[in-house]
Amino acid sequence: MAEQNDILEEHISSEYKYGFSSDIETETAPPGLSEDIVRFISAKKNEPQWMLDYRLKAYRHWQTMEEPRHWPLLKYPEIDFQNIIYYAAPKQKPELKDLSEVDPELLATFEKLGISLEEQKRLTGVQSNIAIDAVIDSVSVKTTFKEVLAEKGIIFCSFSEAVQEHPELIKKYMGSVVPYTDNFYAALNAAVFSDGSFCYIPKGVRCPMELSTYFRINTSGTGQFERTLIVADEGSYVSYLEGCTAPMRDENQLHAAVVEIVSHKNAEVKYSTVQNWYPGDKNGKGGIYNFVTKRGICLEENSKISWTQVETGSSITWKYPSVILKGDNSVGEFYSVAVTNNYQQADTGTKMTHIGKNTRSTIISKGISAGHSNNSYRGLVRINKGAKNARNFSQCDSLLMSDKCGAHTFPYIEIKDKTAIVEHEATTSKIGEDQIFYCKQRGIDTEKAIGLIVNGYCKEVFNQLPMEFAVEAQKLLAVSLEGSVG
Amino acid sequence: MITAEKISSTEKLVSDFEAVKKMLPGNSFVQNIRQKAIEKFAELGIPTRKNEEYKYSNVQKLFQENFSQSAIDNSQFSIDKYLIPNLDAHFVVLVNGFFSEELSSLKNLDTTVVISSMQKAFEQHPELVEKHFSTCADINSDAFIALNTAYAADGVFINVPDNAAVEKPIHIINLVIAKESTLFFPRNLFVIGKNAQVQLLETFETHDLPVKAIATSVTEIAIDENAKVQYYRLQNDCENGQQINTVSASQQKNSHFDTNTVTLSGGWVRNNLNIALNGENCEAHLNGLFITSDTQHVDNHTLVDHRKPHCESNQTYKGILDGKSTGIFNGKIFVQRDAQKTNAYQSSKNILLSDDATINAKPQLEIYADDVKCSHGSSTGKIDEDALFYLRARGLGIESARKLLLYAFVNDVMQTIRINTLREYLETLIHKKLGE
Repeated sequence: MAEQNDILEEHISSEYKYGFSSDIETETAPPGLSEDIVRFISAKKNEPQWMLDYRLKAYRHWQTMEEPRHWPLLKYPEIDFQNIIYYAAPKQKPELKDLSEVDPELLATFEKLGISLEEQKRLTGVQSNIAIDAVIDSVSVKTTFKEVLAEKGIIFCSFSEAVQEHPELIKKYMGSVVPYTDNFYAALNAAVFSDGSFCYIPKGVRCPMELSTYFRINTSGTGQFERTLIVADEGSYVSYLEGCTAPMRDENQLHAAVVEIVSHKNAEVKYSTVQNWYPGDKNGKGGIYNFVTKRGICLEENSKISWTQVETGSSITWKYPSVILKGDNSVGEFYSVAVTNNYQQADTGTKMTHIGKNTRSTIISKGISAGHSNNSYRGLVRINKGAKNARNFSQCDSLLMSDKCGAHTFPYIEIKDKTAIVEHEATTSKIGEDQIFYCKQRGIDTEKAIGLIVNGYCKEVFNQLPMEFAVEAQKLLAVSLEGSVG
Repeated sequence: MITAEKISSTEKLVSDFEAVKKMLPGNSFVQNIRQKAIEKFAELGIPTRKNEEYKYSNVQKLFQENFSQSAIDNSQFSIDKYLIPNLDAHFVVLVNGFFSEELSSLKNLDTTVVISSMQKAFEQHPELVEKHFSTCADINSDAFIALNTAYAADGVFINVPDNAAVEKPIHIINLVIAKESTLFFPRNLFVIGKNAQVQLLETFETHDLPVKAIATSVTEIAIDENAKVQYYRLQNDCENGQQINTVSASQQKNSHFDTNTVTLSGGWVRNNLNIALNGENCEAHLNGLFITSDTQHVDNHTLVDHRKPHCESNQTYKGILDGKSTGIFNGKIFVQRDAQKTNAYQSSKNILLSDDATINAKPQLEIYADDVKCSHGSSTGKIDEDALFYLRARGLGIESARKLLLYAFVNDVMQTIRINTLREYLETLIHKKLGE
């Protein structure tokens, strides 16, 4: 607890600390979107014809689609899709042999973010090893620990590299979970995605270290469109982490990512996100629009996918990490803490689609709203006909920290099988006066008491995070809620 | 009136209005509202499934038939079989949404209490109509409220003045008799004064309906300070009976409103229940029960709008679904910024008896005030195997054990019905339905 308080103390007076921007030489495409831009991106990445065809198909489909503006509880001005730069990449030599060739400014950027790209440091460090794929302005700049992983047969590389070197895997799995027809932003992403991470865990391998992607938006006026694909083959296990930050700018920047997870027989994938895009300033100016499609499929028996997310950043969050439980006995989990402050808006939740027999899903969602923000949980639990003995438990709690904010719960429950058991419960309340009083009596001041209570409230979710992330998440929570006590 | 295309489209309903508007009752004030309403309907149109409120109910499909406008039916028949046994009540009969003086019985009614047709009310009580008509049910909120407001020809008007208590329940019997596909628009207005008390009961039956009919009805209930209103609805149409009905209540300070919606049969039913808590210390209890079979479609939408502090609302909806039926519960608790110290509770529980039945539940909370206690719960499952085993171990046959458990499941909703004869009558109906 003392540690938690230190963390709170340390961050109580700080603002968004990742708000700097780095002076890295970048190469950008002109703003706007057309078939030419799609061709330009594809050519830049030296992609094979099939990839370009896929992008063009997605682009043409995107043109026929409408922005999802009516059903989410989000208010924001029209996005001008012709005023966004769809490709920005740090200029660098085509092939990097070792770290010394990486732009030092870039290394410094990641150093500032507390992410070391130097493997040796990590190896001798006290903390456990994490292999990192660093993505800056939608281009992967460096993937660490590749060789160590390769020994086990694990492929962990940037998406563009995978397109070149493992086309058969990309062809097989890309778009199999999130087809380009899925939604407006998924289609946009499929057309213009620039990079991302690809990860393949072969049969029976338990990945020896946490895999991680670190996303950073740097260039002004750009959108970030990355794509992550994780394939866990039979009997394998991987824990994957994702982190993100962006500079402070007055403009709203668009981030539309797609994450696909395929879990084969007896495989397990654990995906954790700490989302800390720039949330905008106190008056709601600036910040990232985070429109993300994340979905996993439990393809065969006994597979498992678990999403854990801590959402503190972004001015707007529109995100529903989902699991399709296709294999019999498969398991889907969703643990979420979403914090909104000032004028942030979040409409987030999950979708659990039960198809196989004896499938189980658990949803734990904790929303915290402060300031003038609005925080909504929107989740779907669907039990298809034939999904015998499916089981779902959902719990969605909301905490209100001011009288100007809103907390909302919109669960959708669709059941077509009589053997299903589905439970949903939700509560909305504020922090108990008596809880704060109890703490204050014992010499803990109000701000710390609230930190303590909120941390306790989120414990169920934080417990699911890997160690390092749990600490970071606690810090973030403190920063996000700073000044919200009123 | 037979036209080539078999649809009652938005355009057609809007253009037909021009022809009938002169015949519709009401003074210029009402006509003005009608005009606004039809314009709103033209703008909103018949909702598609893209509309979140109609996501699970395909009303477009319903309107793919050519409906004629309702007409007064003068056929002679006995209404005895639509009366509830042993229930001592004032009763009024609506045939196709038109108030029938001959069939109704309002003996020994307190002279200060008004029960009349809406047509009469438009003429005789213009001040009350102007004060309350189209104030509880907002034409901007729903296409069918707008449509009904434009077309409403008749219905029941009830005014219970301040400090009056109506001793006997008022029973409104809604009957449908049609030989060709008909669309009708019953419209009711209940004005309940300060400190007044009343028990209202509406039953819905189809007398003779070989073809499809749609009733898009709107009932407005204005409840003044300290008033206590109980409102029961029993829907028992035949499978050709289709309903899209809206009940909008507005409560003032310290008032109580208890409502109970029981749906046992009827081919396609959509119930919108909107309650606005406009004063402090209001209490609203919404209970619902639907037991469906075959291809029935029952959609219950509730909206409780907490606008003022210190109010309480409580919802319990239960469903038992069999056959290929579909049940929907879509409830929303809305707590406005001013409505501090709100207590709101919502629960939806369902049992599926068949593999072809579907339940869609959407219990929602939308909260803008911080000092509130709001919760909701929804669960769906099958009959508890352990409980079944327990009863069988004690010598009950599987069928009677099953029935007993289902009956126990709906019992807490049944217990909220405070008219004993009505509850007993419902019990027999439910036993019959579950016994099938």
